[in-house]
Amino acid sequence: MHGRGVLMTGVGVISPLGDRADAVFQRVCDGATAFAPPTLFDASAMPGYLVAEVPAFAPETYVRTGNIRPLDRTGRLALVGAELALTDSGWNGDTRAQQPIGLILGTMFCSVRTIGEFDRRGLQAGPQFVSPMDFSNTVLNAAAGQVAIWQRLTGVNSTVAAGAASGAQALAYAAELIRTGRADVLVAGGAEEICFESALGFARAGRLAPPDDRGPGCGVPFDARRTGAILGEGAAFVVLEAEETARARNARVVGRVNGWANSYDPDALQGDRKNGDMLAHTIEHALCDAGVSGVDMVSASASGAPALDVAEAAAITAVVGREIPVTAIKSVAGESLGAAGALQAIVALHAMRCRRLPGVAGLQAPDPSARINVDAATRPLDAQRALVTATSHEGNAVSLVLSLS
Amino acid sequence: MQPRPRVVVTGIGVVTSIGIGAEPFWRALLAGTSGISSVESFDTSPYAVHIGGEVKKFDPVPFTRRLRPETIGRASQLAIAAARLALDDAGLRPESMDPRAVGVSLGTTSGEPTLIERFDDYELANRRDAIGREFIEQYPSHMLAAHVASELRFAGSNFVIPTACAAGNYALAHACDHLRGGRADVMLAGGADCFSRITYTGFARLGAIAPERCQPFDKNRKGMVPGEGAAVLVLERLDYARARGAAIYAELAGYGLTCDAHHMTAPHGDGAVRAMQIAMADAGVQPADVDYVSAHGTGTSVNDRVESAAVKQAFGAHAPRVPMSSIKSMLGHTMGAASAIEAAACALAVKHDALPPTMNYETPDPDCDLDYVPNQARSSRVNVAMNNAYAFGGNNASLIFSKRPE
Repeated sequence: MHGRGVLMTGVGVISPLGDRADAVFQRVCDGATAFAPPTLFDASAMPGYLVAEVPAFAPETYVRTGNIRPLDRTGRLALVGAELALTDSGWNGDTRAQQPIGLILGTMFCSVRTIGEFDRRGLQAGPQFVSPMDFSNTVLNAAAGQVAIWQRLTGVNSTVAAGAASGAQALAYAAELIRTGRADVLVAGGAEEICFESALGFARAGRLAPPDDRGPGCGVPFDARRTGAILGEGAAFVVLEAEETARARNARVVGRVNGWANSYDPDALQGDRKNGDMLAHTIEHALCDAGVSGVDMVSASASGAPALDVAEAAAITAVVGREIPVTAIKSVAGESLGAAGALQAIVALHAMRCRRLPGVAGLQAPDPSARINVDAATRPLDAQRALVTATSHEGNAVSLVLSLS
Repeated sequence: MQPRPRVVVTGIGVVTSIGIGAEPFWRALLAGTSGISSVESFDTSPYAVHIGGEVKKFDPVPFTRRLRPETIGRASQLAIAAARLALDDAGLRPESMDPRAVGVSLGTTSGEPTLIERFDDYELANRRDAIGREFIEQYPSHMLAAHVASELRFAGSNFVIPTACAAGNYALAHACDHLRGGRADVMLAGGADCFSRITYTGFARLGAIAPERCQPFDKNRKGMVPGEGAAVLVLERLDYARARGAAIYAELAGYGLTCDAHHMTAPHGDGAVRAMQIAMADAGVQPADVDYVSAHGTGTSVNDRVESAAVKQAFGAHAPRVPMSSIKSMLGHTMGAASAIEAAACALAVKHDALPPTMNYETPDPDCDLDYVPNQARSSRVNVAMNNAYAFGGNNASLIFSKRPE
């Protein structure tokens, strides 16, 4: 593929599993889940459901003194995730101002809590009593705008929505901008908060593992007894740089984005997943885009969703084969929607570097119709190249091919 | 390095308060038609203002042939209609296209706001039990592109870029890169937003809504007018368009995206200047080459002043000679659809060598002293048009459309 090399020079994670990428990776390997009853909203709205919240999230411990009051939870998660990624990549407060760094944020909702509360305030108290500051956070690019203001990021700033594939889509979007020379340095990834509005919505749509089902395998990717996802939240970001930019500043390189592709299954809304052939198509295209014929591991988006997990497995099998080891992190981290794809990418980088593939936590009875190489146990790994797959219930499919160098 | 593939506009579909379809829309623009009327979507009695740019004559049924209109939100309905109109205009039949080679890239400010508004109505009425699966199935913003692709059975790239009031331009820009990168043969790109209580409440609270009409760049301008609508452009690579003998409106010749990183709602100017400069460099044009600027031109005091100053800085000595108009004077501010509708206007201006006017312009403002094409459309050669859009979050986007050489 023509164009500039796209390097990854740093990562940042704020998640239910922790705030350091290596610690998060260790917890995924240990299968130490983070599920508990919701505390961010009145759990009586949906009794019995478990979620994976970022515990005791205190953004002021991560960012320099300043007023974080204008940022809602999604904005704060994005702010901290981007801060951690920029710091990890060696872009400190001084050097960040030296060139226009951009931000590409993937999110499914931005903050539907902010939007809903703003609307309800207007209805209850009257439109003259809503807060102008809250209004500026009702736009779906609010988190990206707030982070740009805070971090002085004057480069390309965009937000992309592709449901639970939004984070992976953001990495693909950013990689395209760098490859084509439109940006030199971008912080890219995703952010999503848990709130009453989305949690109740997912529960009503039957997307979550129901509260009366606490048996083994209920929220476990690729398990025969899966009944739905456990909702999660967090932010995950990667700093992407043009190869020449990263080399010129002697940046530490944590990986490379080799290729990417995305597509849409126009039959998904009719409930016909066609065994995942649109995802298979994106995997083929991403491999082709990367100029490679295969990968050594897969970081899948499976969340415990009955139909979607099998479709994803079928797509993986169809293109990279049954032998390539696959991991899926959502039975530990939860379904963090817009943040998920970027978190999967970060886990894939760590797996290749640490030469360990995290097990699929809680996997006891692999679904026989998911003919892929999954295991509950964390395994040794020898991988040069990883595939990240991301799917949404609504038909979005994204694939990324990553390598360590 | 090989020259990068060129991207052209071959179809336009618009659903607006002044016309549905490219030709009715263009005729209405040149005639200075107003699409502003009393709001009917919700009760405005709690507000001090009561006007909006609603699309009152829209019937989704002729356009939703595979999806049922009652199962999708209004913004999706508007987007589907715009997409079908654009394909028809381009001479493309969806059923005879390779589904995998056609992608959808849409911008929006609010996605499907009526779904969260209904959620809130139930919640406040203590009817939480009435909140059903439709909220999660219809509300999220990415459903706009998903619904268009499901309706038309397109399987290519699919995403929504919800960068508020500049979203249409962002969606067109990213679609352009998809085509240049060989990721699609055809992209349906644009934006859609439906009339929203939340949006209306917010702008009313800011005191930003004009009570009677939208008067961009006028000394006595009193604000913006919220509106709704959709526009979808058919973008394709030039070689693909030529191979099928398509009529070409204009080339999407370049773009520039920047961020103010200054304030969530107050424009800064510097980012807008850089976006214009990057777009012109990307398209290989100089300020003197630009024959028309489609302004963001919301009609608020701050926007129009800052935007005029930014254009002066970006265009230098040439600024007074560049006609710049705001069609928001007729449509109001259609939010995420606005820059897509304005992109359609730019492509039409390039094709027809005519400039839509800024209506309701009466009193010059010393802070806004450019040529705003006041009150009357103008015949004028348009080889190069620039489409500017600015958004909450400090997001700036400028696109350049140019005439294809014969």
